[in-house]
Amino acid sequence: MRQILTAASLAALSLLQPLAAMADDDAIEQAIEARHGFYNMLAINMATLSGMAKGDIAYDEAVASRAGANIEALTHYDLPSLFIEGSAHGQAEDSAAKPEIWTNLDDFKSKFAGLVEAATGASEAVKGGQDKVGPVVGKLGAACKACHDVYREKS
Amino acid sequence: MAGSAPRPAPDDPVQEVALWDPLLRGFHWTLALFVSLGWCLGQFGPAKMTLHFWCGYVVIGLLLFRLVWGFIGPAPARFSHFLRGPGAVAGYMRGIFLREPSHWPGHNPLGALSVIAMLAVLAAQVSSGLISDPDDYINIGPLAGYVSPALRAKAVGWHEVGANLVLILVLLHVAMILFYRFWKREDLVRPMLTGRKQVRDRGTD
Repeated sequence: MRQILTAASLAALSLLQPLAAMADDDAIEQAIEARHGFYNMLAINMATLSGMAKGDIAYDEAVASRAGANIEALTHYDLPSLFIEGSAHGQAEDSAAKPEIWTNLDDFKSKFAGLVEAATGASEAVKGGQDKVGPVVGKLGAACKACHDVYREKS
Repeated sequence: MAGSAPRPAPDDPVQEVALWDPLLRGFHWTLALFVSLGWCLGQFGPAKMTLHFWCGYVVIGLLLFRLVWGFIGPAPARFSHFLRGPGAVAGYMRGIFLREPSHWPGHNPLGALSVIAMLAVLAAQVSSGLISDPDDYINIGPLAGYVSPALRAKAVGWHEVGANLVLILVLLHVAMILFYRFWKREDLVRPMLTGRKQVRDRGTD
């Protein structure tokens, strides 16, 4: 009886193995989707601010401040935690994350800290006129660039 | 490609001639300056790449000038004067390690390939730059809006590869200048400054 039970549980385990792997894939897929969602939300608000800075969108203090606040709020999310093992470009589909992220994890996190810093106070900094938006976009853009240059796959 | 180009024979006398016209020399040094400046700004410059962009625009203008000059300029500047077939290139390369000056009246058949490679890579480089969008909201190629999002993202990668190719070509160019200077005992820098060069030829038309 005991042997049968052991055999049965072993069989069950071997059945579960691929399921576990699937769950793993799922976690990676979810993390990548979440990253893309994060960047999309960032992009929508960055587009508002950069559009106002360039004069393509009419300056509206409330709208600008809300975009700034959204960006600040987004950067309070721990984005690096979504860069889980196995989600690099070449390992997972639809990922632009360079493998170097995982070999320089501290530096990667410091790049995100750079974005957090650039975003701090953005909702207030964009108030008071169209000319206030440009410098904020400049700071945020520099943080985007610093990370893209090193850790974003361009293909 | 052109059969009429002068071919130096070993027994022709060596004489100093006005080889590189002033505009070509101006083009060369301005290009060297703005390519170097643009390259360094791209690599180490400020996050907002306005100056890098302007270097690119200057390079576009210079490339257009060189294209026109390659057809209507003085003989040594013309593509038809220095673009030669593989046979001529192989023939030139047979004597490349001789420790004597080439006294070549213009771009030699091998150097011509380098000229074309340099112009082609720079043309590709400014093109990819114009349509690049690195998604940082502060640097967007002025023509990025006219291509698909996938293409303007890819262009950023091409621009990176292109920068490495430019570096390789420039280093190769400088290495060959040094090779000519110290191995073949031929100064190629002075002629590009003064326009005058010791050549084995009956003149430059």
